[in-house]
Amino acid sequence: MRVTRGMMRRRVVLLLFCLLGAIGGLIGRLAYIQVLQAPWLQGRAHRLWSRQIPLQPVRGSILDAEGHVLVYTATAPSVIVIPAQVKDKEKTARQLADVLRMPYDKVLALVRKRTLMVYVSPGGRRIRDEQLAAIRRLNLPGVYITEEGKRAYPYGALAAQVLGVTGADNQGLTGVEKQYDRQLRGQPGSITFFANAKGERMPGVGEDYVPPVDGEDVELTINAAIQQFVEREIERAVAVYHPDHVTAIVEDPQTGAILAMANYPSFNPADWQAYPQETYNRNLAIWQTFEPGSTFKVITLSAALQEGKVNLNDRFYDPGYYEVAGRRIRCWKAGGHGSQSFLNVVENSCNPGFIALGERLGKTALFQYIKAFGFGQKTGIDLPGEGNGILFPLNRVGPLELATTSFGQGVSVTPIQQVMAIGAVANGGLLMKPHVVQAFLDHDTGRVVGRVQPTVVRRVISEQTAAEVRSALESVVAQGSGGNAYLDGYRVAGKTGTAQVAKNGRYEPNHYIVSFIGMAPADHPRLVAYVAVDHPRPKDNVVFGGTIAAPIVGNILRDSLTYLGVPKRAGGIPKKVRWGDVVMVQVPDFVGMTIGDAQRTAIESGAQLRTQVLGTGKYVVAQSPQSGTKVPAGSVIRLYLGNTPVVDNGVRKQ
Amino acid sequence: MYAKVRQSPDWVILWATLVLLSIGVVMVHSASSVLSQQKFGDAFYYAKRQVLWAALGVGLMWWMSRVDYHRLRAWAPYLAGASFLLLTVVLVPGVGVNRNGSQAWLGVGPFGIQPSEFAKLALVVFLAHYLADAGERVQSLTRGFLPPLMMALTAVGLIMLEPDLGQSVVIVGATVILLFAAGARVGHLLGLAGTGAVAFAVLVAMAPYRMARITSFLNPWQDPLGSGYQVIQSLYALGSGGLLGLGLGHSRQKYLYLPEPQTDFVYAILGEELGFLGAAAVLTLFAVLVWRGFRTAALAPDEFGTLLAAGITGILAVQVLVNVGVVTGSIPATGVTLPFLSYGGSSLTLMLTGVGILLNISRQARGVG
Repeated sequence: MRVTRGMMRRRVVLLLFCLLGAIGGLIGRLAYIQVLQAPWLQGRAHRLWSRQIPLQPVRGSILDAEGHVLVYTATAPSVIVIPAQVKDKEKTARQLADVLRMPYDKVLALVRKRTLMVYVSPGGRRIRDEQLAAIRRLNLPGVYITEEGKRAYPYGALAAQVLGVTGADNQGLTGVEKQYDRQLRGQPGSITFFANAKGERMPGVGEDYVPPVDGEDVELTINAAIQQFVEREIERAVAVYHPDHVTAIVEDPQTGAILAMANYPSFNPADWQAYPQETYNRNLAIWQTFEPGSTFKVITLSAALQEGKVNLNDRFYDPGYYEVAGRRIRCWKAGGHGSQSFLNVVENSCNPGFIALGERLGKTALFQYIKAFGFGQKTGIDLPGEGNGILFPLNRVGPLELATTSFGQGVSVTPIQQVMAIGAVANGGLLMKPHVVQAFLDHDTGRVVGRVQPTVVRRVISEQTAAEVRSALESVVAQGSGGNAYLDGYRVAGKTGTAQVAKNGRYEPNHYIVSFIGMAPADHPRLVAYVAVDHPRPKDNVVFGGTIAAPIVGNILRDSLTYLGVPKRAGGIPKKVRWGDVVMVQVPDFVGMTIGDAQRTAIESGAQLRTQVLGTGKYVVAQSPQSGTKVPAGSVIRLYLGNTPVVDNGVRKQ
Repeated sequence: MYAKVRQSPDWVILWATLVLLSIGVVMVHSASSVLSQQKFGDAFYYAKRQVLWAALGVGLMWWMSRVDYHRLRAWAPYLAGASFLLLTVVLVPGVGVNRNGSQAWLGVGPFGIQPSEFAKLALVVFLAHYLADAGERVQSLTRGFLPPLMMALTAVGLIMLEPDLGQSVVIVGATVILLFAAGARVGHLLGLAGTGAVAFAVLVAMAPYRMARITSFLNPWQDPLGSGYQVIQSLYALGSGGLLGLGLGHSRQKYLYLPEPQTDFVYAILGEELGFLGAAAVLTLFAVLVWRGFRTAALAPDEFGTLLAAGITGILAVQVLVNVGVVTGSIPATGVTLPFLSYGGSSLTLMLTGVGILLNISRQARGVG
């Protein structure tokens, strides 16, 4: 090809079009970036420029049913660091670690963190006054003090396990604090501003202020006064009986509202980290499951009455045992209660009588009622960590299981399940859902913004049956095993329970959970109260629901009913046992028994005989008064000990 | 030799240049104000100097537009010799000044000159002179094609020792444009492209990280704080600008997010403040300049004029394409200034000098047609 002016010119034009095409391509690329991709790029760029300073809301208070403040948030100083402003990281970290008693490495890592601001956690959160003074004295650049919310408890440890605790970031960890964390927490606010690449504020760009929204106040159904009565009674019981655990619940049967709930051991929520985890993390009243013992007989009784399987005036003969599937199940009373009405069966808490009721119902009907009363499933109380309890699966219930279930053995239930079940009897047969919170209030104005309505779970028995059961239970208190809960004029109805505790499939000797569940007034119950004492160790050796738990419930009911201004009633069943009209019982034959057997027999006699031990040795060689003598219930029997077992006629036992 | 037809210069070239220059001074100030306030306590530090350089450059442009471009043929060997000397001297430790990892400046402090900028223009003058004389010889591989190519590659070799990849790319681009315009065989040019591709493949095979670095522009978000940082910040600027821009002076990326916003990335700040419309308008002005530059080449009275105009316009076009290509993340990062807009004395004065030469050629154009 010859090089000519024409060819050069053509090539120049060709070059021009190529280059113009390339420039056109760049304009297209620009349009793609600046128009199509722009929203996405802008979002990322905003995140790059904006710096957010969080503003913490004030956590809501927790009030009792009458508006007393049980928990509120007080502010406390905390240490924050702005790493960009700390020049000498090592020195700052060392001095902070010293004052805040934190590991040096951990503080150094925080101080070196590439963030806008960092809390010196955990040592620098909510520090004490002397630490605050020390930090101020150090005057370290980039180290600041900010006010942070700290939970304060005007009533001290009151209702600690219901209230629960909060963690370092003000988040609810247990109890109501956890359950209603969403309402209590509130909405954090923020100040957002644009910064340059060094973190300094960009001029000429406004800042965005979102105020924090304080959390709502939560009003409990817990009544501080009643809670105090309950905790006082628990303290007394602990001082006298040195038990492992105590649990108490007071409920309003008409609404399912829990008025008091307490356990021993408890803890101080302001210093909860100092307690073992199982103390602050478990609320025994809703978590612990155990054999209820005789209190469960109320369920068998209610079912039998509702199904028309029994008339309380029918007679029943208790020979001291009941034969089921070829095995003899003994009554707790040696020798039995003899001939009695079914009302007496209830009053005496006679096991064979209840086995008979269970047989008349059959397993399907009995278990249907047990489930209808709410056992075997969570009650749905508004607290975290509730237990289920355990029932026999129906296909594995034989005659023996039916028999033991009907008097409260072989089932496992929680305290709150028992309270709600008996509450259904108190509430004319309607099972309620329990709750500890009744309202939510605006933190600033106190205006009610939400209310918890009472929830009926189901009707379990008819109103008439419920009244009949209450009347029988009133009779238990007035004339039977629950006498120690009797309050003149308040018509207390209730049932005792004494359950032996099984461990690894065997009943532990001398480990009982004694309980009492009561309600008052029996004609129109205002309160249901429950107390369970786990492993009491009384001085006089008698471990029985009627002697230990019943008086506690009596005291709680008396003080609470008085506090609530419930008028005394007329027309109750008068207390049968009066001074000079004592129950006479026959003294059993202890001679030849080991001392342990003798004491157990004395307890199981049902006459609440106390024993006094004289001499040393393993065996009872003589007793006073002699066997067969009639003595008032609760009398002291002297047991003389020796090392050789003897029988009455002086012949050695082999 | 030639009948001197004294006529008016191409006013479009002059006005487009002056408009771009004015936009450049404003944008250098806007883009650099935060950085220069931070560094020197004077928001106008870069702007004042840019105005001085612009004034000097416009003076040189006016002067060159009045000097008959044919006189450059006599100067051409000396200009080429001087540029090789300067490119060598700048590499001597202690003589050349190292800035941002590149030993590319001679002189003291901010008033240093960049030998590579001078070499770029000098080489174009010399190659135009050489190829205008070569005539048909340009189609011979050994006697016409390789000698000017070897000379250009020698300059590129010296520049890569600084190192300065951007200037090398521009010189190679302008040389190829000159060779093509001068009538070199397409087969030779394709051979050159093939050789380049093989050399590149060998370099990549020797060190695979080079490939990774080059392809990283395809997805800068793989390494947003490392190799992708500048491109991402540049895209943030362009994206924030959107269609209409944040308004003059309201860039946020200039708040120390985009490094050196007054030089290679001034176009990103322009796109952020003036939006797609402003950025596209600037590219359109450059397109007009390229059009008028090649028009001047086509209408030049002789081969030397054609090649000189094509070469100068080629430098301008390649720099615009490379700079905007980098700013928009369209090609791998290469440091090249945007003509008339980026801050920098050598770049600005020499580019205006080149426009002055272009104006002189246009004054001697033959009648349109």
